[in-house]
Amino acid sequence: MEQRPSVHIDPPQQAQGYWAKSWKQFRKNRMAVWAMRFLFVLLMISLFADFIANDKPIYCKIEGQRYWPIFKSYGVQLGIAKWDRRFLPANWENQEYEYEIPALIPYSASGIDYRNGNFKSPFGEQQIDSWTERHWMGTDQLGRDVAAGMVAGTRVAMMVGLIAMSIATLIGLCLGAVAGYYGDHRLQVSRIRLLLNGLGIVLAFFYAFMVRRYQLQESGTELLKSLAIAVGIMILVNLLARALKGLPYLGQRITIAADLIIMRFIETFTSIPGLLLLLALLSIIHRPSIFNIMVIIGLMSWTGIARFIRAELLRIRQLEYIEAAQAMGFSEWRILLRHAIPNALGPVLITIAFGIASAILAEAFLSFVGIGVEEDQVTWGKLLSLARRSAHAWWLAVFPGFAIFITVTAFNLIGEGLTDAIDPRTRQG
Amino acid sequence: MLRYLTKRLLIFIPTLIAISLLAFGLSKLTPGDPITDRLQAPDDSGGASSAERYEKEVKELARQLGLDKPSFYFALSSAAFPDTTYRVLLPSRRDAVSRLTDRCGNWSASMRYYQSVENFEQRLNALPDSVDADVRIKLRKKLSRLYFSSKERELRAVLQQVQDTAALDPVLLQQMERPLTRLSSSLKKMYSEATPAKRLIPRLYWYGLDNQYHNWLTNFLVGNFGEAMDGRPVVDKISNAIWWTLIINIVTIILAFAIAIPLGITSAVRRDSVFDRSTSLTLFILYSLPTFWIATMLVVFFTTPEYGLKIFKSIGLGDLPSSAPFMARFWETAGHLVLPVICNTYVSLAFIARQMRGGMIEVLQQDYIRTAKAKGLEARKVVWKHSLRNSLFPIITLFASIFPAAVGGSVVIELIFNIPGMGRLMLDSIFAADWPVIFTILMLVALLTVIGNFVADLLYGWADPRVRFA
Repeated sequence: MEQRPSVHIDPPQQAQGYWAKSWKQFRKNRMAVWAMRFLFVLLMISLFADFIANDKPIYCKIEGQRYWPIFKSYGVQLGIAKWDRRFLPANWENQEYEYEIPALIPYSASGIDYRNGNFKSPFGEQQIDSWTERHWMGTDQLGRDVAAGMVAGTRVAMMVGLIAMSIATLIGLCLGAVAGYYGDHRLQVSRIRLLLNGLGIVLAFFYAFMVRRYQLQESGTELLKSLAIAVGIMILVNLLARALKGLPYLGQRITIAADLIIMRFIETFTSIPGLLLLLALLSIIHRPSIFNIMVIIGLMSWTGIARFIRAELLRIRQLEYIEAAQAMGFSEWRILLRHAIPNALGPVLITIAFGIASAILAEAFLSFVGIGVEEDQVTWGKLLSLARRSAHAWWLAVFPGFAIFITVTAFNLIGEGLTDAIDPRTRQG
Repeated sequence: MLRYLTKRLLIFIPTLIAISLLAFGLSKLTPGDPITDRLQAPDDSGGASSAERYEKEVKELARQLGLDKPSFYFALSSAAFPDTTYRVLLPSRRDAVSRLTDRCGNWSASMRYYQSVENFEQRLNALPDSVDADVRIKLRKKLSRLYFSSKERELRAVLQQVQDTAALDPVLLQQMERPLTRLSSSLKKMYSEATPAKRLIPRLYWYGLDNQYHNWLTNFLVGNFGEAMDGRPVVDKISNAIWWTLIINIVTIILAFAIAIPLGITSAVRRDSVFDRSTSLTLFILYSLPTFWIATMLVVFFTTPEYGLKIFKSIGLGDLPSSAPFMARFWETAGHLVLPVICNTYVSLAFIARQMRGGMIEVLQQDYIRTAKAKGLEARKVVWKHSLRNSLFPIITLFASIFPAAVGGSVVIELIFNIPGMGRLMLDSIFAADWPVIFTILMLVALLTVIGNFVADLLYGWADPRVRFA
């Protein structure tokens, strides 16, 4: 067996050192640590939202039968269980419970308590049977519990932050990495591949989305089929390009100024008035959904991440260990994915933390304005917007707004803490 | 410098194109049709003449709005569709025929079939009252399936039912014989002449410069923004709205800078003092407070008598008639603008002050500042003359966003305080799908973003002569 050259770089230890050091620095910032703890609480609330605020009891006993309604509702949503006939008109409050463990807040976000409609104050008199049924944060005009709405809103806010920033990070990482690592001179592609890929995009669009436009309106699986067609065409085209590599003129490799193209693209993109475009985009979607908002916010907020990663990679690719990796004959992709990008992630974390804050803010703003969120979806922004029309219900203005504020602040604090911990210029000791 | 200027201007071109394409593409994707939304739909009872009149109206309006032209310079389509699909102006007809073509791959045969259905409907509506009303109603019920279905078997079955129903009444059968044969022959022909393979052949049609997008863009560039949905010129709407937005924003900018810069500097000079710590904390909180929350809270607590704290005037701009003396109107309006200005100011103030402090701290650590202090220069002079200029960089970056923000207006503030500015105009237009207005505002704001970036670059050069425009 051939002996491999034993060059040992020991990256894991080095990387660990970096992160451990950053973590230690981060821990010194007490505000940021508190923000982290608070964030953890929010995450727990959004994970267990169904058990915290629900009009179904967690456990109950009716006529000798035992039920676990909340767990069952998961099964029903997944299509593996069916509701008992007695629960079919979902009349949870009218059941004769022999024994019951209710959720912490025995109301659902969109459930209506008819007895306590027309803005019941948290401190005022409420039509309730026991203190457990109290609306701790009041109700709105229809009698929906604000506290339950707050819990549902927490879940929405966390999901917006998570999904929007995942999308943004993915796009930003890809484009930023290509721009930073390849620069203007290092990305080479054969003419034929470039040509065929251009053609492939047009054909993929034509066959996947134009020919099938009426089928696409029918169901969601049709969209998957379309995507499969598009991907298939792109694979085919690239295989063809590989086969035709030997051609005299078309097979030649040309340099693509990746950095220039991507930076111009980013510059153009940032000149687009984002918020206004967001409003316009959401207004044309037929069926409003909170997921559209998450996706669109994600699609619009990748530029910061791309810029950061580009700047980092411009620096990193000059470092000696990259040269060493190249000398060892690692492929460009392997170097980029395994050795360059992991070391550029620190600054990106900062952008992501601030990005989550602005994504949550953007979603709250959109649901406040009332664009793009479905009717029965309860969010913090939507609760807050109720306060505009009913000034006497102070609890509608105070609680949701404070939740938005404190969440956004927490992410900003974490972002600042990370800046201090990761940015070498401000790092002390 | 000149080279730099041209480079900047060249970057502007793709931006303009990208935004105009986005806005135009969005306007094409909106549900609803810009022509038929402005017209009243014809009533069924009028028969052939009213349908004809409606079509004429649609044609006339499309010509006026320039919507009878192709949308873009070129179009990618399957070979089953001709290059003249855009000439079919009625959206219902366009959709139905496209759907049929998508099955059979033959546009003209589909069109002939659709027209035969229309002909059938017109003749049915024109029938004399002597015909059995029951049969007529039955036939009319079948019509919608003839119009909207595109499956061969279903269409044939419906046709058979129509023929059977028509046979029930001999008078009707006699009257409707020709439309019925036309209907059945065109349906047969549509499927006998079907060329479904054509659907899979891509084809690129070139339309040239006389298209909707090109006309729209060139009109925008010469300042002709077109008409809004309600028939008013877009220029009028925008010039009415921009006035309020500008007033609020100019006051805001002046206030924010006037407070934030001294605050940031003092904070930096007295770093880690009690003053610095408390200002930093306050600024951080202010910066994190969402505008729409604070604005809502201010409206709820301080503009309504609900809590006995009605300190400020209520939302809106007051309702003094324009005949009232100018000063009275001025004070009335100013009173209404206090809260919007406060809300608008505090965020920018916090941001600017934080940036200023950061920049100043960095500069104060430089060697030349220590030198200046060492040679006995007055502290005031060191700060205000030697440090300020170099710590302005972060502030200058702000300039890039000031212009677009000033005109784009704060959507939330104008919404909450009910001020008819640009943000409100944009929001209202979006809700009304008034695309001429949306398009213009998007383009204006983008234009201002580019100008803002440009001004910021010039200011960089002023603040630091080392910055060369390469």
